[in-house]
Amino acid sequence: MKLAIAEAIATERDMASISIPIPLRDRARTGLLGWLATVDHKKIGVMYMMVAFSFFVIAGVLALLIRLQLAAPNMQVVDPQTYNQIFTMHGTVMIFLFTIPMLVGGFGNYLLPLMIGARDVAFPRLNAFSFWITLGAGLVMFGGFLFGARSDAAWTAYIPYSSKTFSPTIGMDIWLLGLILLGIGSTLGAVNFLVTLYSMRAPGMTAWRIPMFGWAMGTTAGMVLLATPVLTAALIMLVADRNFNTQFFTTNRVQLWQHMFWFYSHPAVYIMILPAMGIISEVIPVFARKPLFGLRAVVISTILIGLLGFTTWVHHMFVSGVDPTIERFFMFTTMVIAVPTGVKMFNWLATLWGGSLNLKTPLLMCLGFLATFVIGGISGVMQGSIPVDQYVHNSYWVVAHFHYVLFGGSVFGIFAGLYFWVPKITGRMFDEKLGKLHFWTMMIGFNVTFFPMHFLGLLGMPRRIATYDAGRGWEAGNLIATIGAFLLAFSVLIFIINCIKLRNGERAGNDPWEGNTLEWSTTSPPPEYNFREIPVVESDRPLFDARMRTPSA
Amino acid sequence: MVPPVTRDAELINGLYNVILIFAIATFVLVEALLIYSVIKFRRRSADEMPQQIHGNRGLELAWTIIPAIVIAVIFGLSVDTMSRMTARGTLSNPVAHVHAINDVEARRRVERAQPVDLVIEVVGRQWVWQYKYPGGDGVTTNEELVVPANKNIRLDMTAADVIHAWWMPEFGPMIYVNPGELSYVWFNVPPGDYIGQCNVYCGVAHARMISRVKALPQAEYDEWYAKQAAASSAATRPGDPKVGMEIFMNGPCIACHYIEGTKAQGRVAPRELTRFASYLTIAELDGFDNNAENLAKWLRDPQAIKPGTAMPNLNLKAQEIADLVAYLQTLK
Repeated sequence: MKLAIAEAIATERDMASISIPIPLRDRARTGLLGWLATVDHKKIGVMYMMVAFSFFVIAGVLALLIRLQLAAPNMQVVDPQTYNQIFTMHGTVMIFLFTIPMLVGGFGNYLLPLMIGARDVAFPRLNAFSFWITLGAGLVMFGGFLFGARSDAAWTAYIPYSSKTFSPTIGMDIWLLGLILLGIGSTLGAVNFLVTLYSMRAPGMTAWRIPMFGWAMGTTAGMVLLATPVLTAALIMLVADRNFNTQFFTTNRVQLWQHMFWFYSHPAVYIMILPAMGIISEVIPVFARKPLFGLRAVVISTILIGLLGFTTWVHHMFVSGVDPTIERFFMFTTMVIAVPTGVKMFNWLATLWGGSLNLKTPLLMCLGFLATFVIGGISGVMQGSIPVDQYVHNSYWVVAHFHYVLFGGSVFGIFAGLYFWVPKITGRMFDEKLGKLHFWTMMIGFNVTFFPMHFLGLLGMPRRIATYDAGRGWEAGNLIATIGAFLLAFSVLIFIINCIKLRNGERAGNDPWEGNTLEWSTTSPPPEYNFREIPVVESDRPLFDARMRTPSA
Repeated sequence: MVPPVTRDAELINGLYNVILIFAIATFVLVEALLIYSVIKFRRRSADEMPQQIHGNRGLELAWTIIPAIVIAVIFGLSVDTMSRMTARGTLSNPVAHVHAINDVEARRRVERAQPVDLVIEVVGRQWVWQYKYPGGDGVTTNEELVVPANKNIRLDMTAADVIHAWWMPEFGPMIYVNPGELSYVWFNVPPGDYIGQCNVYCGVAHARMISRVKALPQAEYDEWYAKQAAASSAATRPGDPKVGMEIFMNGPCIACHYIEGTKAQGRVAPRELTRFASYLTIAELDGFDNNAENLAKWLRDPQAIKPGTAMPNLNLKAQEIADLVAYLQTLK
């Protein structure tokens, strides 16, 4: 420990810094109580990551059941009722209990204060409250699952299927309550991040010196703040319709729910992808030893994606019965969003170009992101075209598309972030060989699972069907996808083994990767107060510049 | 895609293929840059330091403007395709989806949209498509729609419960069928058998909500229709259990009913039918004994016998009922 502090001081000495007294809080608790009662953003971040990863494993097992059921025509691994509950939970958990808590709650919490040179978030207690309410919401949802009260209305819960008439059980209400709680947790978290980012940056950290991940988290928090209340309102209205005989959705056109739902759930896609883009924007420059190409363009694109993300929701409703004139507007905005996304894509590629690429697992995961996300982006433009959408809507093509965005994008980004920052969090390095094996099995497993789904969709296979008859040309694609899914599951198993092996991993030291941002200036793991002295920031890559000044280090 | 059989499907297919060219070009460009970079710019020594390039305005403008142009082209092509589909009065027509069933003006616009030879009323319900033919003959079908080939057909569709979607991949576009609203589909197809299925998740037997279209040459269609019209009033021969079994297994029944060792694996109905003939009552109704006469009554209109039961009125014809009764009585 002493050595670690000495190391920290040594690194910090290379940079200008100012002394800000370390706040005296009761932070000395250790053991279980130290976790349960903590308000430390790092511990909360780690708890978010652990909880989110557990939900990822659970929802992954559900996905395997789905793939088993569809492996061959007329399979009966589970009955149709259970199958419907399984895909409902798979979608809900992956989105609300894994991707968002992992990226926003986990990475956002752990990294944001460290990257901007703060000692904690602006409202540490509120932060703890957000975490516990998120965990509580997850337990509520699965509590319903264990006691036989399960929703089977899919994660979209379309009216009127989700009304009392067609979903009479309490499972639907439990699902709604869980989501309402989650909405409260993430709205409060967003407020916290925005205030932190605005008011707690280290001296000298002007807007253009905020790390890209900070910009991504700021944009994400803004989107959460504007979008989530609309979903929460819709959920409360549905609970009221179901239980107190209000008639919000029954007396209006069925599209009302769809509008409110997608007004949140389309921005939610960007809430899930922007932080992952922020992660790879941090990782790629470090492993290429080059600054992020066109930092300002990437920042502006991120903000534009955030704004445009609010103007595209009707593209989920091109066949729902919306006026075609309005549809054309939404087709336009949907396609326009590809431009800033393309800008980011090419900026990342340009960052790699001419660099000195250190092909370690974190960079491999970023390359996986770029290689697969581009497919999801392209298919997004394709189905943004209304005539094409009228064909592929709700088919397996769409399933392929959003997995290329959310797995190929978000999940590869998450693993890039984990391989990059877990050494900082734990002070130990991952096994590089296992990491590479993880990457390759995941890359192959992912594509084998999801690429055939494009063809299944084009052959007319609708999503959310519990089984299918032989003879429609779907057998081969489904079997291949199922095989891929098991390879994918195997790759996650490798990651879990790698986590267990961390215990005996090589010591990471303060800065194992030659990082650019402030978190690498402190010890691994960082002390509770993060920095002994708050650094003064003079560029967008403070540590890179510090290293250049002292070539011996 | 599945081979298109309508003009709309051809239009969609053509547009898809054009966009696919842009898509493949983008994909190849990105992957090529990526692979080239990884090979060419691998770190070769631990202390090498590449040139620190922060950006390049010209390049960045280029990769903003060129994609924007590509996007504009795709948008233009899509709007153009939509307008050509509109000319045929299909899904993207402003009248394609009418909000209120009783909106007289909207219905007039639909009538004007394009001349049709046959209008069929369609009701989507959990978990069957029901088709009602015009004219006073009482001809209805479940699941399979029989139409004359190479004629303009219009379907006036609504849903009885939750949202469904009518999609025949070979016909091209799909549309949601909403409760309380009317959706329209126009099509004109060559003779053949086509298959599709409900495309909005609608509950436990969503996967079994199949829609079939059989397009027959006009003469064969007329013959079929005359037979249906006759059969809807009276059975022409005694019930045949084999025919009954075929009706059962190839129709919507299996969505809800369970018979051990068969394709019928539905679990909606409270009792399985494996040994139906040995039950004392039908639908667990006291006093409604399980005999041929009562069973026929039940199949004709279950809602009249037990209001609120999950089993819908399937508009079965007298002959179908006779065959089904014969089949069900073999289940001991």
